[in-house]
Amino acid sequence: MNKSYGWAGKLLRVNLTAGKITTEPTSKYKDFIGGMGIGYKVIFDEVPAGTKAFDEANKIVFAVGPLTGSGAPSSSRTNITSLFPSNPYNAVGDSHMGGNFAAQLKYAGYDAIIIEGKSNRPVWLKIDNDKVTLEDASKVWGKGIKDTTAQLASVMGKDSSIAAIGQAGENMVNLSVIMNGLSHSAGGHGGILGSKMLKAIGVRGNRAVNIAGKGRELLKLNNYMMKDLIGANNQHVVPSTPQPWAEFSHKGSRWTAREGLTWGAAEGGPIETGIAAAGDVNRVGYRTMKATFDLGPSAEKYTVRMGGCQSCPIRCMSQLRIPKLEEYGLSPYVANSCMGYFSPQRVMFKGNKDIEEKGDGKMFAAAIGASLADDYGVWCNYGLLGTDLKHGYESGIFKKVLPADEYNSIPWNLLEEKDPAFLIDFYRRIAFKEGELAHLGDGAYWVAKRWDFGDDYWNNVKYGLWSKLGFPKHHSNETNGQVGSLISCMFNRDAQSHTLVNLVGSGLPIEIQKEVVAEIVGSPDGIDPQLNYTPMNEYKARLAKWAIIKNCLHDSLTLCNWMWPMTVSPHKSRNYRGDLALESKFMTVVTGENYTEQSLDLAAERIFTLHRALTVKNMNTVDMRNEHDGMTDWVFDKDPDIKAFTPGTDKMDREDMQVALTMFYKEMGWDEKTGAPTRATLERLGLGDVANQLAKLNLLPA
Amino acid sequence: MSKDLVKKVFDKETTRREFLKLTGKGIAGFAVTSSILSMFGFGEEAMAATALPEGLLVVDRSKCTGCQRCEITCTLQNDGKIQPFISRIKVSENYNFGTSGPKMNYQYEDGQMGNLKMAPVTCKQCREPFCANACPKNAIVADPNTGARVVVKDKCVGCGTCAEACPWSLPTIDPETNKATKCVTCGACVKACPTKALSIISWEDISKAHFFSKR
Repeated sequence: MNKSYGWAGKLLRVNLTAGKITTEPTSKYKDFIGGMGIGYKVIFDEVPAGTKAFDEANKIVFAVGPLTGSGAPSSSRTNITSLFPSNPYNAVGDSHMGGNFAAQLKYAGYDAIIIEGKSNRPVWLKIDNDKVTLEDASKVWGKGIKDTTAQLASVMGKDSSIAAIGQAGENMVNLSVIMNGLSHSAGGHGGILGSKMLKAIGVRGNRAVNIAGKGRELLKLNNYMMKDLIGANNQHVVPSTPQPWAEFSHKGSRWTAREGLTWGAAEGGPIETGIAAAGDVNRVGYRTMKATFDLGPSAEKYTVRMGGCQSCPIRCMSQLRIPKLEEYGLSPYVANSCMGYFSPQRVMFKGNKDIEEKGDGKMFAAAIGASLADDYGVWCNYGLLGTDLKHGYESGIFKKVLPADEYNSIPWNLLEEKDPAFLIDFYRRIAFKEGELAHLGDGAYWVAKRWDFGDDYWNNVKYGLWSKLGFPKHHSNETNGQVGSLISCMFNRDAQSHTLVNLVGSGLPIEIQKEVVAEIVGSPDGIDPQLNYTPMNEYKARLAKWAIIKNCLHDSLTLCNWMWPMTVSPHKSRNYRGDLALESKFMTVVTGENYTEQSLDLAAERIFTLHRALTVKNMNTVDMRNEHDGMTDWVFDKDPDIKAFTPGTDKMDREDMQVALTMFYKEMGWDEKTGAPTRATLERLGLGDVANQLAKLNLLPA
Repeated sequence: MSKDLVKKVFDKETTRREFLKLTGKGIAGFAVTSSILSMFGFGEEAMAATALPEGLLVVDRSKCTGCQRCEITCTLQNDGKIQPFISRIKVSENYNFGTSGPKMNYQYEDGQMGNLKMAPVTCKQCREPFCANACPKNAIVADPNTGARVVVKDKCVGCGTCAEACPWSLPTIDPETNKATKCVTCGACVKACPTKALSIISWEDISKAHFFSKR
């Protein structure tokens, strides 16, 4: 067999009904790069219209890409694609996880795993290089993710990586995760594995990712990125405090390292994060001190170190040792970042009492909640789990819809007393589907329908519901007005796109951001100063397209879109310019084929348009504008005393957003009336077969 | 420590050889762990390991965040491919459960699934090298320039005896070439570490520290 560069060259197909495991060449998916691209192609081609998420006919695709495991910084991302159960149409969705799993899968020799059918007993998939087998999982069925990981690793070897579901996934809770390592979770697809009775996938790989170019060239590229381009978490490129080496600083920056701030619980004594100046490749890993950023100053003394994914120099996951957690029946060790910690705080909506010192309640709630949710494998729908609990409780709806016995058995007093012990009871009910309350795990759309949540739920500015499809804002109108809003409308779950927010949050002054945006879309008018937005224009539509297709590119290559693209740099000597062609430079060295920024963007446009076509197919309508791309009212009605497009508000305007959609559809070459992909555009992108299938289903716009 | 050594403190190679003699036990690192490394800011858990031409490679696991960029860089530099399995520095195999693998009380043992401590392991460049002594083909020899024990590819038959013999199982047979790989003290891993968990203390500095610690 010819040597394959970048791509492993083959993928696994596992039919659980027949117990059959086969391999196929990856080459037929090359136009879709990998990861997300392979996922959409498989689901479009192979899952019939009308299939629901937990049906046997649904499939789930774990896919990585040509840069996964290549050593390119931040490249160990697994993209998981399947029908998404919390979506009202079960329309397709992606979930992603970092950790070691993605890289291991490549080293085992696979670009993807397609799981189909349904087992009639609990099994796990064991991938030990070429030896791939389905194993009995009855001994771990019913167990949490941590014990499952330990038990399966004791069978496979300590060097394996295990992706598993917890009890929530087994019980087909819509809001459940697939996780590898202690904290790397992919939200929303755990129940699919549960429905197929597949408890886990263990992978162990000892082979190479081959590169076509010389090792030296790839080392040079790595060093160039590390030295000249990379910033801190979310590619923030200025420090959060003024520092001698830096021209700018910005309070919101995640470049939080500074003199006097330490990993306070490091073995052998505190380790100072210190000055980690731009260009110092051997201190990049200290730049992001996320523990105190996420959890407040109390977290410093509990921080063992920062951590994160294979190949990534940005360590965004706080690794904490909090001895008092044992009093809650938990391990003192916990790790997570961002929503993993914020979600439990949303569940504790009454606030958090101090535990050991003033102001540490938030950290305790976060750590206790993360530890529980990550073992049961409960997902939060980007924080809405807590919001939905709050609404049900405070509106009095729970008193009506929950049986009295159940209502009285819930320790509401702990919630009222701001005691994090409430979380122990709460997550158990969700994971084991105990009683009526557990329907919170169905997701926002389903509980709002079931319990008749009204407009005061959907249109509450504090709740942040973005779409009537049941998902929240995730960098939306507050992120460059219409641009963030457009991005948030395009997927079937919360938009997990960080391309734009990373630029807006980079810490650089708006003048520099405007120059950078002008270089991308042709005019500085693509971006406005925060809270001072202008009406829609075509450059904003272009910027939204740019942000989304870069996101699709990264989830296909696979690279972390929480770091990539390298839009800006921390170096004044570079005039703060990043390198948007860096992905193509890596691809060219790794694969030996000539890639450009444009050729990769075109492939990503193909992938995103396929996502749209798949959404049309799943929803059985071409009317994306009205059925899919709608927004809740608070976006337009907030700040009632201020008009849209005046300083001080990020409210949007209804008519202007319709203009925005039209302009965006035009940029994408989609039907400007409905927002559905046209045959001409599908054919331009090499998706003629997709157009044919849509035509058969009568789903091409007129 | 002789006056000559102090005089020759800027003569790298002599200093290195003298130092290795002084450490006696044959494993360069262990003799200096507590007495000298503390002078360079390393705690009890720091492990001195590889003797590089420029100095001593020190691994400080309290600074290791498990990113594995050392493994990636090692195999890119030495093999022209990315294959952590054959890396001469081992982080990923101990990532979740430490060096001894999952145990009943894994939540309190080394590793990401336990007490969050990483367990990076490097080649010790032993004075009496188990790997070279065990090799039936005499394929592991000292490099005349660096003193590092290196694998002579043409002689290696991939039998795995070296890996079996090494107390730390550091030599690894590449399943793709059927040849042993082991550390050649190139130092690429140190340059790539984003948290300075790997660092080189120069022979000059170590000799001075050793000299002063004996006074």
